[in-house]
Amino acid sequence: MTRPLLLSALILAATAIGGGSDAWAQSNGGARALAPGVKVEVAPAPGSGSAPAAGKVDETALRYYARIGDGERMEAEIARLRALDPGWEPPKDLFAPQPAATGVDESPFWSLLSAGKVAEARAAIAEQRRKSPSWQPSDKLLQELDLAESAGRIRSASDTKRWQEVVDAAAAQPEAVACNRLDNAWRLAEAYAELKQTDRAFDTYKTIVTTCPKAKERRDTIFKASRHLSPERLRELSALGATANPATGEDYSAVRSAEAELETGRLLERLGNAKPGALSAADLSRVQGIVRDKQDADGAIALGWYFQKQKNFAEAQGWFTQANEWTPSDKAAEGLVLAYNGLGDKAQARAAAAPWKGKSSRIDQALKAVDPPRGPAGPGGGRSAPQGPSELDRALARHDFAACISIIRGTIAKSGPTAALLQQRGWCLLELKRPSEAEAAFAEAQTLAAREPAKGGASATGTAPGKAGSRSPAASGLPQTATPAQENAYGQAIARLATGDVTGLTRDLPRANLTATQRAEIRASLMATEAGRALEDKRYNDVLRLLDARKELEPEPRNLGIVRGWALYNLMRFDEAYVQFKSIDDRLSTEESREGLSTAWKTIYHDW
Amino acid sequence: MTSPVGTSRRGMLAGTAALGLAAALPAASRAAPYDGAAWRRYAERFLLPEGRIVDTGNKGISHSEGQGYGMLLAVAGGDRAAFDRLWGWTQRVLMVRGDGLVAWRWTPDGGVADRNNASDGDMLIAWALLRAAETWQAEAYRTAAAAIVKALAAGLLVEQAGLTVLLPGRDGFRKGETLVLNPSYWIFPAIRAFAALPGGERWGKLSDSGLVLLSKARFGGFQLPPDWMTLDAAGTVGIADGFKKQYGYDAVRVPLYLAMDGYRDPYYFRPFATLATKFGATKYGGSAVPATVSLPGGTTTQVAASVGMLAVYRLACKLAGAGDAVTVPPLAPDEDYYSTTLAHLSALAAQSLGIDP
Repeated sequence: MTRPLLLSALILAATAIGGGSDAWAQSNGGARALAPGVKVEVAPAPGSGSAPAAGKVDETALRYYARIGDGERMEAEIARLRALDPGWEPPKDLFAPQPAATGVDESPFWSLLSAGKVAEARAAIAEQRRKSPSWQPSDKLLQELDLAESAGRIRSASDTKRWQEVVDAAAAQPEAVACNRLDNAWRLAEAYAELKQTDRAFDTYKTIVTTCPKAKERRDTIFKASRHLSPERLRELSALGATANPATGEDYSAVRSAEAELETGRLLERLGNAKPGALSAADLSRVQGIVRDKQDADGAIALGWYFQKQKNFAEAQGWFTQANEWTPSDKAAEGLVLAYNGLGDKAQARAAAAPWKGKSSRIDQALKAVDPPRGPAGPGGGRSAPQGPSELDRALARHDFAACISIIRGTIAKSGPTAALLQQRGWCLLELKRPSEAEAAFAEAQTLAAREPAKGGASATGTAPGKAGSRSPAASGLPQTATPAQENAYGQAIARLATGDVTGLTRDLPRANLTATQRAEIRASLMATEAGRALEDKRYNDVLRLLDARKELEPEPRNLGIVRGWALYNLMRFDEAYVQFKSIDDRLSTEESREGLSTAWKTIYHDW
Repeated sequence: MTSPVGTSRRGMLAGTAALGLAAALPAASRAAPYDGAAWRRYAERFLLPEGRIVDTGNKGISHSEGQGYGMLLAVAGGDRAAFDRLWGWTQRVLMVRGDGLVAWRWTPDGGVADRNNASDGDMLIAWALLRAAETWQAEAYRTAAAAIVKALAAGLLVEQAGLTVLLPGRDGFRKGETLVLNPSYWIFPAIRAFAALPGGERWGKLSDSGLVLLSKARFGGFQLPPDWMTLDAAGTVGIADGFKKQYGYDAVRVPLYLAMDGYRDPYYFRPFATLATKFGATKYGGSAVPATVSLPGGTTTQVAASVGMLAVYRLACKLAGAGDAVTVPPLAPDEDYYSTTLAHLSALAAQSLGIDP
């Protein structure tokens, strides 16, 4: 029995070394190493140290896979054992506790291992060997322990950005970066990329997408690789992944579309800053097709702005409407208001603003373009004609905030500062992500407003703050319109949020002169920031508490949904985390939603 | 934080090259079995008449660790008179804390220079007393040992993250929720002897935890344990701040103590054997086994491992199945206290394992 066994093992090994990619893809329990340049060996495991009785195959590993529910490796082990002994049949009692075989019963060590207690398993084995010096653990057990440790080492080295150690650890234990440990293979590729060994990174990704059989694995690999490879090499990778070594029953079309999705992401990003006409007609129509297919509201808004900037208001209105239908939001409504305004349809613009009026500063701001406040000291500055958009209004409608700053600078140079102008400057600075300057602008506006004589109308502030603009909101139940003083306070609060002054803001919020809506909005933002901090500090229950409280004030946006998912995950509420990530990913699949989803999935199914 | 023995040892071996010249001298490290003659050679060099072991590599100071090693080797050498002198000095001079533990550091100029204890020193002394009690059938030694063991258990054994661990000293090794530990303070054969005393169950747990920690605390390319490590409340191990982040003069004793307690699992000896074989194989090219390795980076020092350290590596290689990769030169006439002690202890360990030292 021994001789033919060894022979078949040798043949297996020879095939593996000579056979190129075939060996990688083999669903054999042995090595499917993914480290380039590392010799591939299919571990023959011809019997083990504990030397099971002649004619009896060693089923310990099989029982281990069964216990941890790793179906794939269980099947592979069954195939391996069948290859060793064609007459062997898998036992029916895979989960039954096994009586001690010859001498030492290995099952306690396997139990520790399957519970993830690798160090404890090592300790127990060392103690056993001290007591029974003639006993040796089976090769399979040692192999699994080595593998678990190497996988852990690769993870911790990569988590702490010790890239060379990732590469070293993978080289020392090539099996730790096989298809069944895809996460580690990705970490290896990332390590090569970080070490500027781009060719090796590419080779590693290539090995994965051409040898790992599952379409989902190949697709996820394309997404992973997108961070480290050029678009050209990514295209090459997708083409390989969609065609190489197909496994029966797998549909690789999703692999090819992954690359297209990435392309769309890049295009949408370019749309955001694109000058008119920057995108080719082909690119544009491709983005439009994909956004429609996925009913991607964010993508539709990006397209809306793309056309709005070209003054193609009809096309812009179409996309904003679409976005608002898929997912109603003040962002979509804002675009819609300005697009209708561009078309000269002020009635429709006001109608589009109605659901958000007084609730969203975005909308209130957009409405100023539709119905410019009258009076000599209106936000338009030195505008002479009461109707028709000023240069500043037009810049705002284009979302051209750099122009906003320069127009205001020019107006102030010509006719001096006003509170309203400084306030507008604050908003534009905020949009340009210059929060400290924005805070200063709002503070200046506040000071100036206090000095400005009341000029009547909406701009009256200072001496009697709150009175001029208040139209007894509480009594009517209508949303309270913010006074200019309140808007200044609100602007300052937003700017302080952006600079990260959470403590100061939390302290000052109760005394700040804000409308109820503004106060709720700031509170919601503060809670979001606090939730982010709690996540960093690993106070996961606090994260959930804060997010729940925030949800009472405002619907939960996507990024906080992701935060919620990780909090659930870290509280080991894996099923809930999975559901959370899934619902986000179903709406729009991005790298972060995919990462959450696949991590939760792997944890639940031990698929590392 | 008061630093027990380990940290001050750094650099004191700088002058000791790996390849000694005194090839003609009898090599104590290779004398088997360990006997009275080996002990006498040791005592001639390091035991002063008043009963203290002098650390020749460290300005002639004495410490609880040295007393413990001396007492241990005196029992092995069958020299009860020397043992009594060592124990007498230890009691008289170092056991001044009032809690049954031993002040760890004494200098010729100032007497007791640090009243903090070093747990490995206490353990070595207690273990030597237990062996003396057995060898010479003297109950008084056992009673004294039990008192030290009891004081250690009360003040130094603590539970963290489900593990029973030993604080390196009474003061200064807790940083918030995190403990600073020294892997080489797990003197496994001593711990086993303590576990066999009445009420010694917690010591048994300390042994188990030691093996778990030695599996977890592996860093860098060689997967070596650090001289000083941390253990946080979640059971995560790290390399301690405030000490040199390295494997070196302290942690080299890890494989020695494992071997002395009869452990043979190659897994626990492999990191040390890998280090020794990597550098030992090219020794004729001018390279030698380094005395320290930075962690996790893996930078090695120019200072070569001492003869005593090489004796430990030789042992580790045998147990890791790496063969005779390390050649141990004879001890030099002026070999320092620490190197000589390691060499003698390695000989004792090899003897108890029944392998060629």
